[in-house]
Amino acid sequence: MAEDTFLGDDFLRQLMNVGEVDLLVGIPSYNNAETIGATVQAIEDSLRQAFIRDRVVILNVDGGSTDNTCEALLGMNGKRGTGARGLTSLRTVHRVSSQYANAPSQGSALHSVLAAADLLRARYCAIVSPAMANPSAEWMANLLRPVHQEKCDFVAPLYRRSKYQGLLARNLLYPMSRAVFGKKIRELYADEWAFSGALAAQCLGRNVWQEEAVRARPEAWMGVTAICGDFKCGQSFLGPKAPIAAGAGPDIVEAIRQTVGGLFWCLEEQQDYWMGKTGSESVATFGPEHELTADEGQSLNADKILEMFQRGVNELEPILSPILTAETHAEIKALAQQQEGFRFGVELWVKTLYEFAASYHHSVINRDHLVQALVPIYRGRLYSFLLEHADSSPEEMEADTEALCGEFERQKPYLVERWKAKAEVKT
Amino acid sequence: MADMPVDGLWYKDAVFYQLHVRTFCDSNGDGIGDFRGLTQKLDYLQELGINALWLMPFYPSPLRDDGYDIADYTSVHPMYGTLEDFKAFLAAAHERKIRVVIEMVLNHTSDQHPWFQEARSSRDNPKRDWYVWSETDTRYQGVRIIFLDTELSNWAWDPISKEYYWHRFFSHQPDLNFDNPAVRAAVWDVMRFWLDMGVDGFRLDAVPYLVEREGTSCENLQETHEIIRDLRRRLDEGYPGRMLLAEANQWPADVSAYFGTGDEFHMAFHFPLMPRMFMAVKLEDRKPIIEILEQTPQIPENCQWCIFLRNHDELTLEMVTDIERDYMYDEFAGDKTMRINLGIRRRLAPMMENDRRRVELLCGLLLSMPGTPIIYYGDEIGMGDNIYLGDRNGVRTPMQWNGGWNAGFSSADPERLYSPLISNPVYGYQSINVDSQRRTQHSLLSWMKSVIKTRNSFRVFSRGTIEFLDPPNHRVLAYVRMLGDEKILVVNNLSSSAQAVELNLRQYKGQIPIEMFGRNLFPRIGELPYLLTLGPYQFYWFRLRRI
Amino acid sequence: MKDVIVQGLSQAYENLVRMLAEFLPRLVVMLVIILIGLLVAWLLKIIVRGILRLTKLDRLSEEAGASRMLRLAALPKMSELLSRSIFWITWFGFILIGVGVLEVAGLQEQISRLLQLLPEVFVAIVILFLGLIAANFLSRAALLASVNAGHPSPKLLSWLIRFVIWIMAISMALEELGVGRQTVIAAFSIMFGALMLGLAIAFGLGGQDLARRFLERRAGDEEKEKHEEPSPL
Repeated sequence: MAEDTFLGDDFLRQLMNVGEVDLLVGIPSYNNAETIGATVQAIEDSLRQAFIRDRVVILNVDGGSTDNTCEALLGMNGKRGTGARGLTSLRTVHRVSSQYANAPSQGSALHSVLAAADLLRARYCAIVSPAMANPSAEWMANLLRPVHQEKCDFVAPLYRRSKYQGLLARNLLYPMSRAVFGKKIRELYADEWAFSGALAAQCLGRNVWQEEAVRARPEAWMGVTAICGDFKCGQSFLGPKAPIAAGAGPDIVEAIRQTVGGLFWCLEEQQDYWMGKTGSESVATFGPEHELTADEGQSLNADKILEMFQRGVNELEPILSPILTAETHAEIKALAQQQEGFRFGVELWVKTLYEFAASYHHSVINRDHLVQALVPIYRGRLYSFLLEHADSSPEEMEADTEALCGEFERQKPYLVERWKAKAEVKT
Repeated sequence: MADMPVDGLWYKDAVFYQLHVRTFCDSNGDGIGDFRGLTQKLDYLQELGINALWLMPFYPSPLRDDGYDIADYTSVHPMYGTLEDFKAFLAAAHERKIRVVIEMVLNHTSDQHPWFQEARSSRDNPKRDWYVWSETDTRYQGVRIIFLDTELSNWAWDPISKEYYWHRFFSHQPDLNFDNPAVRAAVWDVMRFWLDMGVDGFRLDAVPYLVEREGTSCENLQETHEIIRDLRRRLDEGYPGRMLLAEANQWPADVSAYFGTGDEFHMAFHFPLMPRMFMAVKLEDRKPIIEILEQTPQIPENCQWCIFLRNHDELTLEMVTDIERDYMYDEFAGDKTMRINLGIRRRLAPMMENDRRRVELLCGLLLSMPGTPIIYYGDEIGMGDNIYLGDRNGVRTPMQWNGGWNAGFSSADPERLYSPLISNPVYGYQSINVDSQRRTQHSLLSWMKSVIKTRNSFRVFSRGTIEFLDPPNHRVLAYVRMLGDEKILVVNNLSSSAQAVELNLRQYKGQIPIEMFGRNLFPRIGELPYLLTLGPYQFYWFRLRRI
Repeated sequence: MKDVIVQGLSQAYENLVRMLAEFLPRLVVMLVIILIGLLVAWLLKIIVRGILRLTKLDRLSEEAGASRMLRLAALPKMSELLSRSIFWITWFGFILIGVGVLEVAGLQEQISRLLQLLPEVFVAIVILFLGLIAANFLSRAALLASVNAGHPSPKLLSWLIRFVIWIMAISMALEELGVGRQTVIAAFSIMFGALMLGLAIAFGLGGQDLARRFLERRAGDEEKEKHEEPSPL
């Protein structure tokens, strides 16, 4: 088995002492000493409240932190409220911390977590980010409950967001993954998600752990694997999405490389599944499906975004031309010239994306380059979106997203056509 | 009494056996156990290895509260025999080096007690002030009512003398007025009566409620402690070597107040530990036991905790959190008829699903943890219960001596027995009885004898300190008992599967563990963690010796 | 006189016959060698093509953009191109060996020189080709990074990288052929170029992220930009 080779002896020894568990919470960390304490505290509180009878292990897999993240986690052991009578929890809550050998990546962390889950025969698992701003005991329970009680195999989170948060997800990831894979999961790309032991075993057995798409964004791959393996999927409302501090999260180029690149890769992996699918269906949803709060007055320099779109389209012309069809490319070039009444329509946007996906499939150019070439075009769409929704209410934005999803679903045959067409020429 | 060795701390080394005279053996064929029957069975108890008996109330009583409603403090209920029978029993017990502790209910009497009959006869009666009277039922507002199921108030109306009287328990149990010196004197007279006869100690019932004060909860009052200190002083002066055991179902930190500075009770029950032993085995996790013992305060040198697995009451779940209680109910009393008040009315063996390994593990824990263990009658042979009998009578069925007529308990017609025998195929007296278990070396009874014998031969069990080891495997509970140079290592596997455990025994480096039941040597302890493997529910007792 | 003529003629005839008798077997040998060479070359082509297909060279060259250039030049696929050149080089070598068997004076020397040069020619071609791929790939990476980071002159940077890598590749190829020692010296003299190559490779391969961040920092508005763009996820 694969896990025999990459789990260290010390890690195995710790797992041996834990023994069989019901519930496993994995925390992939990398230099999170400051926040990991509060996160683990919140997890333990919620386990104590909601999963009191389960055998539990909190598993920290670390990418080689240099700020004593592991020590911060293990050092908290034994702290309990003074004056408490009776037991704080029924069972020993185990904390295991281990460093994996590879360079820090979400995928390597998940790989270790899955191997541990398999060895401990965990029935329910969750992955939690150590960098949560205000972890509450509540959301952890919300995340795990669908797996624990509703027999879901994969549970994606739902967040309360501000209006201008998560626009890549709103404009691309959600509608496209929904149209392609046919399941209405809003947050396939998230730092927290939950899954069953069965799904964990299934994923562990796949030999994909060296793939960049899996290393960077394992959660989406896992979600897609669940969808395509006919596992029961669900989503659960957790609360407000922690705002990412300026300069902390991945920038837009990195985000697109990870998420869109990962999505395209999944498309190729699972082409047998989605080719014949049409339409999309809802998944079990726990809590409100979406919540938007008013804009927090973020200062956005829309003009700069437009400028970067225009320059990008011009400068990248030789790169874009083999990716897009002549017609689509011309439309985008025309858009880049346009000064008045700029509007990047959904039809063009969807068509562009499908052509990118197909070109990715056919390896027209280096795939990473291909995905990067999407960045300026996304900026164009983003600019258009910001213009349209400067004063929109949350309801209007939702309706717009729904319309975009519809467009993605409507044009799906075009994707299938492009996907197959080039392949025939090639052979 | 002269033949009993005078050891002031005998209660610390004792192994108690708890029984009700009614349940043990019937000598006259009336279907009810009696003192003569009990006397006949003392050889069995001696053979078992126990060295103290705790008898449930046997006083004359209307028996509306299982004998805890006493109508005469200085006599024996005719059902159980005569005072002479009791004296004969006491002498026979002492002859076998078995001490006898009897029940003493000080807080209240039966309303049939002559004291109360006199007191209620008129408001001017000299005994009027022996009880707590009031013209209104509004005094001591806010004091909790203990038997919420049956009582609406702590005050009851007396139609004869047209006043309310105070009662913390049932309304037929009026509380004595301990502010009255005459009452205190009378109570001491009662105790002296039994002490003079040779009784070795009292279990004092309902201790926290002796004194009432306006504006308080009327529980654990300072005045109550003073009364106990006074009783203790008189006991120590007149009757050295006798013992007082407190019944106070409270958290250890509160109970420990009743030890005073070693000048109140000698012993008190450790109520919260008991459910947690069950819980730990069910959860396969040592946490419940360790946590509760960590919350247990140190007690004076001459005092001792009483620990037990099961007793005549329900397995009380008052001293647990709601979460723990729900867990215990679900795991041990799935059938609602098994529950009563805040507890579970079942015996040890059925709660362990008749699993010998688990019964042995729990008994092993009981006998190796700090405190004086109390074994409830019948548990040493793995007797079952009858949850279809009302109240807690399901755990008070006749002792099963053999597979013959009425299980050897009585020669009466079966219909005449005070309680039906257990007769189902699993726990029935045909299969579970003393005689059949005496015949084999490997019966639960034989095992109990050997383990009690082992415990009795090492004082470290009863008087030693305890230090928990912290092996990473949480399914293993390991501790070292230590008294002077004597060290005993106890390792328990609480889980249903085989376990490996690495014990950090560096401080005992160079010593050799000797397994105490087989006397086999184990490898010498070195610098490295000491590796042991244990089968399901297995436990080891090791004597650590430097050879 | 007649005798002399006859003798001369017969001598010439004999010589001719002897020459023919000597030459004809050599010709046959040459033809056999050439035929065997054809067979060996064909087999090599098949083997090389198979190996290249296994190594997915086509996809690599496709990604790097080399295939597109080949298509523009109306050349076949990468694997086809390589295996065909192996075929021709091998066969050409056999032909030369075959011709050598004829023992035509003077030819021998030329042929052996040509034969010695053959592998070097092949290596030079490969170097040029790899240079082409690297130049394409790295210049495109630089272009994307600088465009996405909003760098002022992305095309210039991209072109510079391409140019430097070409220079290096060509000079290395010439060095391999042994005809351009001066060129190589000249190439070394432009150390700056080599430095740029190092930088380009570092930027392009070693750390595309790092390079981008570096470029962004150079652009001087990294922090500002993050505020200006709404968070993507």
